[in-house]
This record gives sequence, structure tokens and C-alpha cells, in this order.
Amino acid sequence: MIFIPLLYQTLPPMLLPWEYGVRNLARRPVRTALTLVALATVVMLVFVVVGFIRGLERSLAISGDRDVALVYSVNSEENIENSSIEARTPDLLTASIDGVWNRFGVAHVSSELYMGTRVKVRDGSGGLGLVRGVTRNAPLVRRGVRLTAGHWPQAGEVMVGRLAAAKLGIDSDELAIGRPIDFEGRSWTIGGEFSAGGAAYESEIWCPLTDFQTATRRQDLSLVAILLAPGATPAEVSLFCKERNDLELRAIRETDYYGTLQQHYRPVRLLAWLVVFLVAGAGVFAGLNMMYGAVAGRVREIATLQAIGYRRRAILLSLVQEGAVLAAAASLLAGLISLTVLNGTAVRFTMGAFVLRIDSVAILWGCSVGLLLGVLGALPPALKALRASVAISIKAT
Amino acid sequence: MEMKVLNGMFLCVLTLVVGCGTSDVSAPVASSQPSPEGAQFVATTEPANAVPVGTARESAQDEQEVTLVGRIGGSTEPFVNGLAAFTIVDPKVPHCSADEGCPTPWDYCCTQDQVKGNIATVKVVDGAGKPITGDARQLLGVKELSTVVIQGKATRDDQGNLTVAATTVFVRPGE
Repeated sequence: MIFIPLLYQTLPPMLLPWEYGVRNLARRPVRTALTLVALATVVMLVFVVVGFIRGLERSLAISGDRDVALVYSVNSEENIENSSIEARTPDLLTASIDGVWNRFGVAHVSSELYMGTRVKVRDGSGGLGLVRGVTRNAPLVRRGVRLTAGHWPQAGEVMVGRLAAAKLGIDSDELAIGRPIDFEGRSWTIGGEFSAGGAAYESEIWCPLTDFQTATRRQDLSLVAILLAPGATPAEVSLFCKERNDLELRAIRETDYYGTLQQHYRPVRLLAWLVVFLVAGAGVFAGLNMMYGAVAGRVREIATLQAIGYRRRAILLSLVQEGAVLAAAASLLAGLISLTVLNGTAVRFTMGAFVLRIDSVAILWGCSVGLLLGVLGALPPALKALRASVAISIKAT
Repeated sequence: MEMKVLNGMFLCVLTLVVGCGTSDVSAPVASSQPSPEGAQFVATTEPANAVPVGTARESAQDEQEVTLVGRIGGSTEPFVNGLAAFTIVDPKVPHCSADEGCPTPWDYCCTQDQVKGNIATVKVVDGAGKPITGDARQLLGVKELSTVVIQGKATRDDQGNLTVAATTVFVRPGE
């Protein structure tokens, strides 16, 4: 007899069975389903926002090539679209800089005219597109670009990037090979499609440089992209730009250029993270509301559990378990929908377009927020119910 | 009332998040002592008969030994990253004063039309005439708007550009 209280004291506190919490969820199917939908919606919003941030970051991170130096006008600040440099610049650079990669007698230098212009498709719809006039040297420098269908654009033709339709806000069928598109007062035929591994070029339309110069009545260029020889650095190109002060040029490593764009979009990314926290905060309050409702109707049940010997800690753990199980199910549901429906969705943005990226980081954030909602949402109402007197609660109607 | 407070708090958070970005343009890197590698290029006494950049652009011949005086600047980024090279501007060209609040007075933003005819490029070279790799700021102990006296060989082109392959650099103290 002496041993019984001693045994009771040494045993760990009696916990409610795992099935108890799970079955409780099934006892009120409508309320459980509604809570599940509410939590899944919150987690999905987190997935969308984090996917947006990750997509934007990845697009800018992979857009540059460390071996490429960009030369453009010193007066255009950080915006290449505003740049205008002399058409003879590529020849001057090739003749003056030893660090230009030259293979089989071909200097890997790409002369480009780049601008934003209104693009229309056959039915008259369209939007502001990004058009780049290029020469056949472009793929030598833009090494990530792959022709996925059709052929390299001939005179009067263009090739469209994988995300060009998203940038224009039109159906991708409108940019099928053979279809006409209009910009800069003339009609062009789509001759090919290209991808660039998610880089910024994918939202662009490429056409022959001379045709584009004729259409825009311009003889200048926007930029020159140089593939540097092994061991060469952009410093050599920068020095040339300083020495040829009359040309008003500046040079920058391509990865550094996109790095400055990352900085440029920093407020957008910060704002997006703020949205994540606001959405998560709103979700916690929604969860609290639902759990208060759920616990309020179970005051007698909780008091009865206390009366038959379950400790408050054990009951609290069971209630948190209910919230966590529900939140985990909601996170899984939201993750499934995000991965199958949202992942890879093209998003239009000022600099072009990019795809939502539900990657490991997005999943980590989404599921963490989901589980946090379940645990934090369940704690306050459970604590409130447990603080009430057992005798009074048992008599509650 | 509570709603107004909440709205106010939200606006404050937004302002902090959007407005507190770091400035793209940093202040001049304070540097006063040349590095051990750069000491061989730095003169301890000021070379005599230095001519301002504007005068040199008119009179200096190609391959001529010159002594120039100028102030480091002429653009937002007067230094070449990765090489000991920079641009200097004739000291007579005014730049924004500190009390005007201009974050980059060395770009001569208000007097760019005067800069064109009063700018030269300086590259510090080794015995073989090759530009020294590294950052001129650390190598020579200079910063934007430092006044320097350069000795070296001039290179001219048909467009009037002046480049000096410098072998000696004197940094005027306190400027």
C-alpha cells in the first residue's frame, strides 16, 4: 500500500491518448473542415508571397554571367534601356582590349539595342514588351540562351522568350511560331522560341539588330556585352572606358549589374516579407478565434477530464495536439496545391517576368507558419479553459 | 481611435521598411596611409612645376613626361575596381561643397560641362608599363576628392583624351 503513492509520484504525468485528440477533430467535422480551409488559405498566401520573393531573387541571381562585361552609357545610370552609345563602340572595344575572348577569329562581342516598346498581337491585344536587337554573335556571349523551337530570326522575324507572353499579359498561343506581332510600326513574324534557364532574357523578344535599328530609326546601340577571355577581368574594360572619356562609357561585370538590380528591388522584397508576417499574424488571430470557439463548447469535457485525474498539462498538450494536427494537415494541403498549381506560374513584373518558385525555402516558411498557427492558436483558449474552476465548469451548461 | 492608432503604426512600419534602405552611394573611404606595396609609388615631397589637368590637356604631347595636379573625381565612381587607376579633374573646376548635402560631390554633377575639358585618367604602372592590380585607395592611401600630383608619361589620342601612366604619386596632405 505504501508503494502505490510512491509509484504514482515516480511515473510520468498521465497523458491523454493520442487518438483522443485526433478523434475530437472528427467529432465536429464542419468546424474542423472550416478551420482546415482557413488555415490552408493562410499557408497558401505565405507560399505565394515567399514563392514570389524566391522567384524574383532567382531570376536576378542567375541572369548574370561572371565572365561577361557590359559596356553602356555612363549617363544612363543603372538603366540600360536609357543607354545610347555609338555604333562604332564594339569595334573600338575589340581593337583596344586584349581581354576579349576571341576564338576562330571571331571576337565574342555582342552589340545590342534594347528597349521597352508596345507590342501587339493579331487580335490587337498586347502590352509593353522588352525587345532586344541582336547579331549572330549574341549566343556566343549570352551562353545560357537556348533555341527551343523554330530557327534563329531572319530578316523581318523575331524569336520570343519562354516568358514573353507573361510579360505582355497575353495567351502564350498568340506567340506561337508563324504568328505575326507588331511593334515599332511594322509587322514581324515569330520564327523561333528560346529559353534562358530562368534568366531575365526569357521575357524578351529578340530580333535582328539591323532590322530593329531601321524600325526605330536609330543608328546607335544600347550596350555591348563582352565575353572575357580566361584570366581577364572587367577592370581592363573599365580602364578603357575611363581613358576614352569622349565616348562616355561605363563597364560593369554582368553579375554586378544584376546585383545592383537586387539592391534596387530590396524594398519590394522587404515589403513582401512584411506581407508574410502580416498574413501569418492574421492567420494566428483566425486560428485563435476558431480554437476559442472549439474550446468554449468543451468546458464541461475539460473539467471532467481534470476531475478524473488528468493533469492540466496533459489536457493542454492534447488541445495543442489537436491544433497542430489540423495545422499540419492544412500545411500539407496548401503545399500540395502550391506545388501542383502555383509552382512555375509566370508573374509579370517591371523588369520583365519570372516564375513563382515554391522551393525548399518556400516550403519551410509555409509549413513553419502553418504549424505555428496551430500551436499558438490553440494555447490561449486552452489556458483560459484550464484556469476555470473544475467544480463550476462541470456544472456549466 | 484604436483604428487610427493601428493605421498610424502600419504606416510607420511601411515607412521604416521602404524608406530605410541603404544608400547606393557610399561616402568616401577614409584612407590616409599607402599600403606597403603602394609605398614605392608614393612621393614624400611634392614634385615641382606641376601643371593643372586643363592646361596639360592643351599642351602635353604624346609620350611626354608630365607632372599634373588634379583632384580625384569626375564621375560617381572615379576609381577603377581591380586596377590602380582613377580619373582626376583640374582643381579650378568647382564641386559641390559639403554644406550643399550632395552625397557624391566628386561627380561634379553641377559642373559636368567643365569636367569634359579638364579631366585625365591616371593609371599607376610598374616598370614594364603594366597597370598595377589592386585598389588605388588602399595602394596609395587616397580617396575621392584627394588632391594628387602625378608624375608619368602622357598618352594622347585624336579625341583629346589624356592618360598618364604614373610612376610617382604625391598626395597633398589635408586635401
